Amino acid sequence: MRFQYLLTQTVQGIRRNPLVVASAIVAVLVTLVLVFGSIVVRWSIDQDIGRWDDNVRVIAWLGDVSPDQVYAMQEEIASWPEVDEVVYFSKSQALEEFKELFADQPALIEVVQEDPSVLPDSLRIKPAEAGSYDVIQNRVAVYPGVQQATAAGEEIDALVARSNRMRAFAVGVFVVLGAAALVLIANTIRMAVYARREEIAIMRLVGAGNWFIRIPFLLEGLFEGVAGAALAALIVGLGHKPIVQMLSTVADPDSIVVPVQFLLQQSLLVLAFGAVTGLLGSALGMWGTLRD
Amino acid sequence: MIRLQDVSKVYDGGVVAAQGVNLEIAKGEFVFLVGPSGSGKSTIIRLLLREELPTSGNLWVAGKHVNKLPSWKVPLLRRSVGTVFQDFKLLQSKTVYENVAFALEVIGRPRHVIRQQVPQVLRLVGLAAKADRLPRQLSGGEQQRVSIARAFVNRPLILCADEPTGNLDPGTAVGIMRLLDRINRTGTTVVMATHDHAIVDAMRRRVVALDRGAVVRDQSRGAYENVPLLPEDLGEAEPE
Repeated sequence: MRFQYLLTQTVQGIRRNPLVVASAIVAVLVTLVLVFGSIVVRWSIDQDIGRWDDNVRVIAWLGDVSPDQVYAMQEEIASWPEVDEVVYFSKSQALEEFKELFADQPALIEVVQEDPSVLPDSLRIKPAEAGSYDVIQNRVAVYPGVQQATAAGEEIDALVARSNRMRAFAVGVFVVLGAAALVLIANTIRMAVYARREEIAIMRLVGAGNWFIRIPFLLEGLFEGVAGAALAALIVGLGHKPIVQMLSTVADPDSIVVPVQFLLQQSLLVLAFGAVTGLLGSALGMWGTLRD
Repeated sequence: MIRLQDVSKVYDGGVVAAQGVNLEIAKGEFVFLVGPSGSGKSTIIRLLLREELPTSGNLWVAGKHVNKLPSWKVPLLRRSVGTVFQDFKLLQSKTVYENVAFALEVIGRPRHVIRQQVPQVLRLVGLAAKADRLPRQLSGGEQQRVSIARAFVNRPLILCADEPTGNLDPGTAVGIMRLLDRINRTGTTVVMATHDHAIVDAMRRRVVALDRGAVVRDQSRGAYENVPLLPEDLGEAEPE
């Protein structure tokens, strides 16, 4: 009886003003599409960085050193805390790699083949963390026997910076739109309270409990929040692919598939967030209007 | 049943609506609160329902210490006090039956209780045949009967009526008073604020006269005006 009554009230409240309810749902929807969307995009960027992380190497190009010296250097550099592993790359290995990388530019390959000193022996140093490449680079550069130390530093920095900008942007969007959604829900609830003010006055008069009066409004807010969140989850779940691929730096964008499990997990979070927004907005809307 | 002890109420802005009111009303009594507009009749009723808190003093209603009652218990207080107003306060979109049933629905009464009690109380107020009408299809007297039915359907211990006949012609008012009398005879305490001389004089019940928030007369089987005790500013006088 009670449950049914409360539910009926909620449904009536939603039907009373469908346009206002729809605007609140759309506000939640837009907010959460952007939030959820940026979570997914961030995931793919993190994947990118993950790939890079693994491939970051500091290359120490070696001068004229004996194999024994090379071995000693390798041992010592490997013992630095910033270093994960050190691999020796001979001239011929470097040449093979070069041929592979520039297979479509035979002119370049010819040049290198004619003068193998262009590609000397090298040590490929894998940092324990991608970010610490510069420390290693500086230390190795002054090492006796090392001609030059290189690393793809700028590219790494750019990626990290892009990821951070993305995060800041997402947080900004989240705060502004979240606040807007909250206020819109509060507004619909306030209008619903206003529409029912006579009924509420009589409910008070005959001794209806405070929660009995509030629950239909809370349910209405909850509905708006969850409906918006569910639509947002659906939209992102079905439509994230082109955006992720567009923003990806990976050579083959088709290889990026956001795992379903990750999407489901994040969808649950989005739904929970919608529910909380709905309840909070509803509480905000009732604030000061529903006291005994 | 009702006890007010040194109750004073000063509204924001300094209007004194009750000052040092002491009043005791026993179970089953029928009490008229009389006095000119602004004398504090409605304030007393609002205090009994805890729509207002007294500025000082204590009051007890139906065994509850009203001014100390935590707000979550206020609904319980109001379930034991039925209320009737001059303007009926009916929901225009609901039928007579639905208006009365509403009072039971919103306090969570089971449906079978509602189906049993609503027709019963509609018979009591003489509106069983008009259960499916909307309020605007009824006369003023009939609308007031609906609001009395709504106030009484939950069998409250106390019925508070604030000018229940204020909008009605004298003939209709008599019918309403008969109904309130009948409800009083079931053991329900009735407190009625009014400035209708004819009704008070005809009923000869306890009369509590108020002036500027103070009790100036408390008389069993009284009349609206009591010449020996009453200064001339009671009676027809309008607010100062």
